[in-house]
Amino acid sequence: MKLDPRTKLFLVAAANTMIFSVPYAYSMPMVAAVLVLLLLEKKWKFMSVFFPVYAIAALCFDYLKQLDSGMIGTLLAATVLLICRMMPVGVVFYYIMATTKANEFMAGMSKMHVPNKVTIPLTVMIRFFPTVFDESRAISTAMKMRGIRLFSLHTLKNPLTILEYRLIPLLVSITKIGDELSVAASTRALAPDTRRTCIVPIGFHVQDAVVFVYCIAVIAFVVVSHI
Amino acid sequence: MKITLKDVSFSYTDSIDDAILKDVNLQIESGECVVLAGESGSGKTTISKLINGLIPLYQSGTMAGDVFLGDKNTSDMTLAEISKYVGSVFQNPRSQFFNIDTDSEIAFGCENLGIEPEEIRRRIEKTVEDFHLESLLGRNIFHLSGGEKQKIACASVNATDPDIFVLDEPSANLDLKTVDDLAEIIKLWKSRGKTVVVVEHRLHYLRDIADRIIYVKEGRIECEWTPAELEAKGPDYAASLGLRSIKLVQLGGTGVSPAAQRDESITFRNLRFAYQKKFPILDIPELSLPKGKITALLGHNGAGKSTLAQLVCSLRGSWSQKRAARRLGTYLIMQDVNHQLFTESVLDEVLLGMNPKDESAALEILDSLNLKDYVEKHPMALSGGQKQRVAIASGVSSNRNLIVFDEPTSGLDYRQMLAVSATLKALAKRGKTLFVITHDPELVLNCCHHVIRMDHGRIVEEYSL
Repeated sequence: MKLDPRTKLFLVAAANTMIFSVPYAYSMPMVAAVLVLLLLEKKWKFMSVFFPVYAIAALCFDYLKQLDSGMIGTLLAATVLLICRMMPVGVVFYYIMATTKANEFMAGMSKMHVPNKVTIPLTVMIRFFPTVFDESRAISTAMKMRGIRLFSLHTLKNPLTILEYRLIPLLVSITKIGDELSVAASTRALAPDTRRTCIVPIGFHVQDAVVFVYCIAVIAFVVVSHI
Repeated sequence: MKITLKDVSFSYTDSIDDAILKDVNLQIESGECVVLAGESGSGKTTISKLINGLIPLYQSGTMAGDVFLGDKNTSDMTLAEISKYVGSVFQNPRSQFFNIDTDSEIAFGCENLGIEPEEIRRRIEKTVEDFHLESLLGRNIFHLSGGEKQKIACASVNATDPDIFVLDEPSANLDLKTVDDLAEIIKLWKSRGKTVVVVEHRLHYLRDIADRIIYVKEGRIECEWTPAELEAKGPDYAASLGLRSIKLVQLGGTGVSPAAQRDESITFRNLRFAYQKKFPILDIPELSLPKGKITALLGHNGAGKSTLAQLVCSLRGSWSQKRAARRLGTYLIMQDVNHQLFTESVLDEVLLGMNPKDESAALEILDSLNLKDYVEKHPMALSGGQKQRVAIASGVSSNRNLIVFDEPTSGLDYRQMLAVSATLKALAKRGKTLFVITHDPELVLNCCHHVIRMDHGRIVEEYSL
């Protein structure tokens, strides 16, 4: 099922508002909505990791909140809270990254009269997430071969070195890729002042209306029940 | 469309005195296919950037003289305007696509030019047909091989239908089979009357396509030949100018399997790997690499070479396979060495794998690799060849016996290739065993003792040189 990129942006805004600004239980309907969307996209692998972790955290949440037993209890509660609050945000972003093509996104933004100067860097971000993963994987391979382990006497003594070993090569290769990418894009007429077309037709359909109505209904319900 | 460079000088700094190009005059006629050859740093890539407008419109620096496309001066145009006439393909397949899926990428240039969606779809269809890309449609670009990515890059440029194509070392990361596909694409462009400018070290695939080979040296156009003229001058002449061979170098073995004549070797057993049992990616019961010698591993992309290297370097495989590989002590020098340099100085990099008190041993290793003067430098501040030697030094320092190289000479000119070859020979003299995955027949002829050729996950041929 395809949603218009603008609907997706609205979904992000609505979901984040719910997740961050009201008591935790109220964010559940938004999380459920994104889960349904992910199921419709058949992202099984992602779901199989996300769902159990989130479900366990959500089940433990109320119990742990009442628990009041020193440092370990607090740490545990904090972790669970973090999972419950942050993971849905991650899921919403994952949904957008996984289902939106660069050209659709740019077309949607330009329909909302967002200038290209804003849109282009945002689009590059979409393109860059997989790049960071790719490069990161190659670097951990190199570290493994070198015998640099995550936990060793050396890294326990100097915990920052492990960050350094990972970040220096990553930054170098990503900067280089970014630079070459912007050269390649400029030679293919990507510029702030041109009008682009898009081969993927975008526009609002029934499913977009459903998402809009659902989000607004949830927000309205929360607002009304709080007055 | 005609390309004219008139008295062009260019410097990447503020002062024209350190110009990388000096008073270059060049005319390329409409429909011509021209190769710009020369050593790294000679200025040939700078000429290509002048043609696609990156200089002066993207790259900062100091420029004198004029570049004309037809009768238009590029300095009066915008990059977007130039891209209607000039399409560019670059060296690194990883960094020239903007989209994540292949279809959008082929459409990308056209969309930017504001061409109507109907027309774009028609052009994509035509391009897919011309380049035989049916199997690549609808794919995630991150899952494609380097050669496939390069084909998509050519397709994307082709869809915008420019008059001029500029390719900057397009074959640097490709194997021989994919290079043939690239040659077909260039041939097609030429047959349609397009002007093609190729900056390239590897000349053999352009032998039957190029009209002229222009030799650039120290920022000047030194001379030019037709491919036939260059070939007639013989391979020694080309080598003396730092050029790769125009004829594809053929490897002729003695036919004797290296196993028959070796006394000592490092032996791997049971190198098998499969994602699904029925479809083995790798099936090698025994691999013997003679100690203290250099063995080349040849084969097309997808033959299983990388998987073999990963298994040998204990980066993949079952627990027992990994343990066996670790016990033999292997180290991989990656194609992109940036991934394996971690520390703040060259010396630290080497010390990372050894006892920190053993500084004199580390210095000795660095000296043997001609890195003595860079001990305190940051590894990332070094040149590509120096970085590669630092990575080698860290492998040597961690006392590994077998060092595996993944494409150590991709994108290198003749002189740089010779330097790598000298390093490999020196390592072998030290008693290290070397295993070199390569597409570079000149490197193999220069330094390798044995050759193993793979296909479909099996060793199909072994011989000594």
